[in-house]
Amino acid sequence: MVSEPAVTESSPARVARQLDRSKAAPRGPAGDQVPGRRRGTRRWPPPTRAYQAFRVINAIILSLVAVAVLFPFLNVLAQSFSSERYINAGQVSLWPRGLNVTTYEHVMSDPLFWNNYRNTVFYTVTATVVAMAVTTCYAYVLSKPHLRGRKVLIGIAVFTMFFNGGIIPNYVLVSFLHMRDTVWAIALPNAINVFNLLVMKSFFENMPPELEEAAAVDGMDTYRILWRIVLPLSKAVIATMTLFYAVMFWNSWFAAFLYMDNQGLFSVTVYLRNIVDSVTSVSNGQLAAGTQVQIAANIQAVTVVLVAIPILFIYPFIQRYFVSGVTLGAVKG
Amino acid sequence: MHQPSRRRFLAGAGGGAAALALAACSNAPSSSAPAGSQSGGMKNFGVGTQFKAAEPLTFTIAMLSNPAYPYNANWPFFKYLKQITNVSFNPTVIPFADYNTKIAALVNGGQAPMIIPKVYPGEEDQYVAGGAILPVSDYVHLMPNFQDKVAKWNLAGDLDQRRQSNGKYYLLPSLLQSVWQDYSLATRADILDKLSIPTPGTWTGVQSMMLAMKHAYPHSYPLSDRFNQPTPGGNFLNILSAAYGTAAGWGYQVPSNGAYWDASSSAFVFAGSMPQYKAMVTFVNEMYNQGLIDPESFTQADTIALQKLTSGKSFVISDNAQGVVTDQAALPAGQTMVKLPLPAGPLGKTLAQNASGRINSGGGVMISSKALSSPNFTAMLQFIDWLYYSDAGQLFAKWGVQGVTYTGSVADGTFKLEPDVTWAGLNPAGTKKLNATYGFSNGVFSTYTGSTQLLDSQFPPAELDFQKGMASWGLSPLAPPAPLTTTQQQSATLTGNALMSTVQSQTLQFILGKRPLSQWDQYVSELNSQGASKFVSTYNQAYSTYKQQHG
Repeated sequence: MVSEPAVTESSPARVARQLDRSKAAPRGPAGDQVPGRRRGTRRWPPPTRAYQAFRVINAIILSLVAVAVLFPFLNVLAQSFSSERYINAGQVSLWPRGLNVTTYEHVMSDPLFWNNYRNTVFYTVTATVVAMAVTTCYAYVLSKPHLRGRKVLIGIAVFTMFFNGGIIPNYVLVSFLHMRDTVWAIALPNAINVFNLLVMKSFFENMPPELEEAAAVDGMDTYRILWRIVLPLSKAVIATMTLFYAVMFWNSWFAAFLYMDNQGLFSVTVYLRNIVDSVTSVSNGQLAAGTQVQIAANIQAVTVVLVAIPILFIYPFIQRYFVSGVTLGAVKG
Repeated sequence: MHQPSRRRFLAGAGGGAAALALAACSNAPSSSAPAGSQSGGMKNFGVGTQFKAAEPLTFTIAMLSNPAYPYNANWPFFKYLKQITNVSFNPTVIPFADYNTKIAALVNGGQAPMIIPKVYPGEEDQYVAGGAILPVSDYVHLMPNFQDKVAKWNLAGDLDQRRQSNGKYYLLPSLLQSVWQDYSLATRADILDKLSIPTPGTWTGVQSMMLAMKHAYPHSYPLSDRFNQPTPGGNFLNILSAAYGTAAGWGYQVPSNGAYWDASSSAFVFAGSMPQYKAMVTFVNEMYNQGLIDPESFTQADTIALQKLTSGKSFVISDNAQGVVTDQAALPAGQTMVKLPLPAGPLGKTLAQNASGRINSGGGVMISSKALSSPNFTAMLQFIDWLYYSDAGQLFAKWGVQGVTYTGSVADGTFKLEPDVTWAGLNPAGTKKLNATYGFSNGVFSTYTGSTQLLDSQFPPAELDFQKGMASWGLSPLAPPAPLTTTQQQSATLTGNALMSTVQSQTLQFILGKRPLSQWDQYVSELNSQGASKFVSTYNQAYSTYKQQHG
């Protein structure tokens, strides 16, 4: 609710401001500009008419995209505060109808929901820490051109992007390692995401080698160079990757579903999926006749909102690293 | 269509692994109860005997957790079960939404619990080759209640359909005394009253009802249907095709449904090219041309269909007993939903007794092969027999304990839930839920199974009328067993999937008038060039092979 909308929504306003500024700049005193922007403003080429039109159209299109992205979310939010009758009748769009908060009370009073919620937080934190540690180390090693067998090591990682054992062999492996019903079943098999690994690798590759050479000359060993020099300079990519992993683990349900045999160990996404997906399963009708499930539409909406909120709130804090982190890694000289 | 084949592939791969694992174990399954498996069981266990284990026993079980009544280890159900039978469970809890996926992983990964309930007929086929599931037909002599009901209700023929090509069956299905029809069409009772339309009993009656509605509300589409997953027009085409003596909609949602048993010629024929199928499609097309059917009817999402109904844009919708209750809640005051009697078609009042009419509805129980090496194997089968197949066990699992959750008795028709206990439209004001609070009427243990009397005890008056109406219906002949070998199965699935999607898409084309019915013969030859006749002959061949080998 806060993250993406906040950017996209403000973009028309920002564009308008910039248009305004570019017009005003030649005449007005520079003093009323934001100090940091001064140089940029002066360098700004005098906008052509076509360019202005382009910016306006851009703003309109982006606003439409913002609306398209925002609408489903606001719709679910409105549903979560509406009464079931209006939802089923399809009369809830952006504003709650038949306002009720009892659904929130109902869902929040379910101990299983909170238990699973705690699990999700625990799994996400643990798995993200593990994943970051493993990915960073592997990426750092792979970023060193003098590493012997580097291509093979990269090949091994990339191979897993295209091929994997499949559900059942994975399940057998995890069972064999006695990792079922533990957090390791969630954290370890997904600890290296190859895409993230490659982004991090090229980020490290772009770092000036002189820095590390200087540190080595001063007597630092590899581990201290990584810890003291490289990592502090890599906040952008670390923040971005942490966000990627955290979102991935927060949203994932399959590992928890497959490897946990006790519902006290499920993550909240399994809980959510169960109530949302069961409703559609009813359509498989005949076969499911014995297990009719009807979960009220507003209970679904409330659960969706409660599950989505925390991870949404992480975005604004990491956002400033986000853009630079991804692009820095992506562009390689 | 894509999904099952991939799953089957996975299951096959995993099955191989499981077979290896099994081969590595020293105790290969033998076909009689092994010595030393008597521990905890009863010596004289028979029909009407109350099962009670001689020592406290714990069985592992796959426990489906239904979001409407999430699994709770403290349910009184478990407490009473322990008191009555001396048995408790060590469950693997599995969310409803992906139950089958997890079962596949557990079974093929060699981690299956001993008791695996909620398996629907046909789903066990994929595990047979792996050997991880017990061929339970070899041990039903230990299950007197099961055998009694099969004999008493004349279910041997239905059960034969579950036999694999080795002549054994691997699933203990739920047994119904009579075919139970839940799904039909529902409509607005207030509109029927207002337009003084009599309640239709046939499909032509349904057509004239909708014509009258269209006449009174020219801007509406009387029928705007739902249940379009996994096949378009799932319920509508299913009940309609059954009335015509063919298979469509949910009745044709797996490739094997395409092989339809034609009793008059004593052979399997291809459903999608039967003359009955053409007659059915012609009828729907006629109603469509009369403006009675919403063009989106067979493709829209359920929620959209419900919105059209509640906003008065349509009046007729596919429904079942519980659905009518929920739909009613969504309707504005003064409007009422009523389930229509199942409309009869050209076959008259004949219920299609499809692949597994009386052993279909509730899902059955698979038993893990490794249970065989347990010292409590006999006790476990006796326990399953009591809980799932004895009158007392079925009553307990469904309604609970007399004086606690219900009063009176089902046998003499005085059954009533305790006033504060509520379940599916019975005692709607009750505060304690029979399933969520107590753990009874849980799909894992109590399915839509049992005697007609037991089933009738669960219906509110309106539904009871519907079911009484169904009592006068006859049954169409049962298809004989025609189990395919693994090789046959593979080729039949490949051809069958392609055929199924052709039939589904062309059916809609014909109904919606995008392809004229004059091209029907061309369509039939298209099916044949896709291998329809070879597909059907595979089943006919399997049928005659089975008949030779197993009588």
